[in-house]
Amino acid sequence: MIQAWMTPWLLLAIPALGSALSLFLWSSLHRMKTWALMTTVASLIAVIGLSWTLAEPLAEIPLLCLLPIAAFLSLLGQPRHPDNRLAWVITLMLLGLGLGVLTSQEPTRSFMLVILLVLLCGLLARSLHVALPETWRGLASYGLGIASTLLTLVLPPPASTVAGLVTCATLLPLLPLHGGFVAALTQLPGNLPAFAVVLLPVVGFHSLLRLLPTLTPTMFHTLAILALVGACYGSLRAWIQSRPLSRLAYAGLAFLCLLWWYIADTGTASVHTTVYLSAVVLSSNGLLLAWYAIRARYGDIDVRSLGGMAYPMPRFSTLLALLALAALGMPPFGVYTGLVGMLLSPEFAPSGPFFLIMVIWLMASWYFMELVQWLVFGRQRADLRYEDLHHAEFASLLIVLVLLLALGTAPSRLFQSSVTTPPASVAMKGGAWIP
Amino acid sequence: MAFLVLVPLLPLLTAFIVMTGHRADQDQNARAGLFPIVAAFVGALVTLVLVPSEGAITVQLYDPAAIANLAFPIGFYIDRLSAVMMVLISGVTALIYRYSMGYMYQDRGYRRYLGVLGITTSVLLCMVCSANLMMLFMFWQILPWLLFLLAHNHAHGATLAGASNTFTLLRLSDVAFLAGIVLAYSLYGTFEFQTLFTRAAEIPVTLALWPALGWEMDGVTAVTLLIFVGAMGKSAQFPVHTWLPRSLYAPTPVHALLHAGIINAGGFLLNRLAPLYGLSPATLHVVFIIGMLTAILGATMMLTQNDIKKTLGFSTIGQMGYMIMECGLGAFSLAVFHLIAHGLFKGTVFLNCGNVIHKARQEPSFPHAGHDVEESSFSGLTWSTGFVTTLLLPLVILLVTHGILRIPLLESQGTVIFLFFIWVTSSQAILSLTRIRAVASWKVSAAMLLTLVLVLFTYLFAVESFTHFLYPNPDEVAAYFRAAALPGRLFDSLVVGTTLLTVLSWFYLYAHAHGRTVRVPGWFEAFLARLYVLFMNRLYLDQLYAKCGRVMTLVAQRVEKRLS
Repeated sequence: MIQAWMTPWLLLAIPALGSALSLFLWSSLHRMKTWALMTTVASLIAVIGLSWTLAEPLAEIPLLCLLPIAAFLSLLGQPRHPDNRLAWVITLMLLGLGLGVLTSQEPTRSFMLVILLVLLCGLLARSLHVALPETWRGLASYGLGIASTLLTLVLPPPASTVAGLVTCATLLPLLPLHGGFVAALTQLPGNLPAFAVVLLPVVGFHSLLRLLPTLTPTMFHTLAILALVGACYGSLRAWIQSRPLSRLAYAGLAFLCLLWWYIADTGTASVHTTVYLSAVVLSSNGLLLAWYAIRARYGDIDVRSLGGMAYPMPRFSTLLALLALAALGMPPFGVYTGLVGMLLSPEFAPSGPFFLIMVIWLMASWYFMELVQWLVFGRQRADLRYEDLHHAEFASLLIVLVLLLALGTAPSRLFQSSVTTPPASVAMKGGAWIP
Repeated sequence: MAFLVLVPLLPLLTAFIVMTGHRADQDQNARAGLFPIVAAFVGALVTLVLVPSEGAITVQLYDPAAIANLAFPIGFYIDRLSAVMMVLISGVTALIYRYSMGYMYQDRGYRRYLGVLGITTSVLLCMVCSANLMMLFMFWQILPWLLFLLAHNHAHGATLAGASNTFTLLRLSDVAFLAGIVLAYSLYGTFEFQTLFTRAAEIPVTLALWPALGWEMDGVTAVTLLIFVGAMGKSAQFPVHTWLPRSLYAPTPVHALLHAGIINAGGFLLNRLAPLYGLSPATLHVVFIIGMLTAILGATMMLTQNDIKKTLGFSTIGQMGYMIMECGLGAFSLAVFHLIAHGLFKGTVFLNCGNVIHKARQEPSFPHAGHDVEESSFSGLTWSTGFVTTLLLPLVILLVTHGILRIPLLESQGTVIFLFFIWVTSSQAILSLTRIRAVASWKVSAAMLLTLVLVLFTYLFAVESFTHFLYPNPDEVAAYFRAAALPGRLFDSLVVGTTLLTVLSWFYLYAHAHGRTVRVPGWFEAFLARLYVLFMNRLYLDQLYAKCGRVMTLVAQRVEKRLS
């Protein structure tokens, strides 16, 4: 009989064991990748199989399932290249730590979280030779995350709550602690950004859910302001980025700041927040995978110099266009459903910032569509060799799209296992409407 | 009757037939794809016949009490308005599809184009049959993307820029629409049309815009204004009309669909929510002003364009303004009548304009350069007939209406609006006849009289019958007119002003067409010339928007530079 305390360790052990064993297959790229994929599938089966043992409702099954799925997808489309081996191993390690953090209790949870952040710092430090300011900011952000996580163990409330919020903000990006998230998406090697874009916000969101009942009205107000500013900032910066990774990182910041704002504004995390979060991270994951397909063919090229892929690469073009539509919040995909579901929940009442949120949502139409236009439309280049998606790449993008569609069309009661945190002691909308 | 809800889904079958199968069979598949669309048209006709006798068809595949928890609140509500729109959309699409089979033949994206056409038709049909506001909005916001795809030739820079512009501007209005929906739901707790109308009428809500300053707004007004911004985008109303002329690089059949179908979405939306709009006189006045502005500016810009497609595009903008203005006056059914008539007319013109352009390219002498010199002699008979039909007969009708039929015109703006539209439309038609040579003056006179009779007949009988069909309850129609009633003096000034303008235009154009010189001050001539340049450049709105975009980019870049 499996005890509840054993579950996190089991979920941690499977990917950890997988990553350790994959080192023995280092010389055979094909076997190593297959092994890594099998490990993620085993993790998914373990998550589903062990879900009944989870002690508290905070351990959300949809979010738990999302991690092995994201790891699987990020590995699936990757080209078999020696440079990617380290990323595959780290993916499995991060997966194990992520699952452990989501299912364990304090202080084990904080301990695993610190290891996860240290691992990310180590990976960022490896890319320091490029000496980009983003890397330094990322290291600083994660350094702060490590310190604040440790402080939560020793400080009394409410200081520990503030420290916990700082940790959350480094994972689920919130201005001004978004540097880690941006660095993870732009600087990590191989397939890791595609996995990190799911892992970090999910872990951050989970941590936030635990803190939610302890937050005070002042904290909520502060968070709401930071989230609004962050969403505007992310949108503006995403708009002017020409590099896809940067654009996706700042777009992710904008969309995830919307989530922060909603939680801070309503004081709750309704079932739709889970749908929204899952859809946002999955669509970013899909767009990153699409970028990897381009990078595998043309290197780290300026996408504005590409174009005209609609006819020579129909599968890629169709999937990219649909993924961009999903990311910018078009029906019937999950981002739209999640956002609309959040806005229509009884806890939410439209106020002034709501219109700003709408503008931010609108801006996504511009920068995501521009990305699609650069790649898919325009004139074909005679000097480029166009090659459509391989089976593995196609499958990974298609699965992401199907998941986004499922998130968008499935009745929200399917996500009812998610916790609906009781409203905190705030009256956010007093006097907004006069009936 | 519930099987009729399958009608909107039939064009999806077209898309499936066309887009699947081997490329070698594409002609055969394209021909097979026509059948589901024709079947949809037949189904729409059956619906149109059945709905008035059997009542509205309602199929809800969701729980209306828990709609916010459902991602896809799919349901169908087919009433008379939906049935009329279904016939229009499916009929026009069937013709356009058949036309496209020849027009797009041998095009590389033939299958994709026909497939997207099928999907667009299905989306449009689902939109007009939506059972609730959320479903309507879902299909509403898919349209910009479909329009983007229908631009078709994305390798052409201007086409791509136009398609992108269309998508962006339509998304802008979609955002306002969504804001309106969220606000409506938070105020009234429902998306169901009938429940929403009832609750909005029963629960007066005041919205505190800025409590410190005491700024307040009626809840219904706020909701309807936001939703109207959504309608403005789709129906190309000023100042978000710029996407329509810029999308003119798309294939000709797409224009026919756009101008005959998609652009009518705004008018449909206002009609669908007419009971809600009827609760907010302030919004109706805004609708009237925006419509009037668009009608004037669109028509003026149309006169100054030198490109046939742009001319037709601005003509549509003007007509859409006219249609929205009718909604703003409370004449909702008139707007639907107008959009059907305009849709059929403009669809025909667009499908034909491709042939005209093609022939003009093939024959250097087309259009013929050798026009006969127009007769400049003054024809008393023509002038008198025009004067009588334009000015005297309407006066007689007015007196008969007021004196014999005992309709209190001074208290019924609705009737005045109807009569006024009769007069303006007929005088507009008659004005165009003044260009005909004066030697055939008796024929011209007969044509003028016939025009007046035709317009009069159409308005008095066809429009009245249509109004009765669409809104069987006369009290409802009267309530809309009452809600839209303008302040007495303003209304009188508008009527008198427009009358004077029309009469003066009549005199000026008639004289001008027959070689008479009309003395105007020099400064006025110069002003007109400047105005001409301004309108020819479409008020420089495209440039203004581009400038705004550049400024925003510059600001964002500076922010980034400072932060880096």
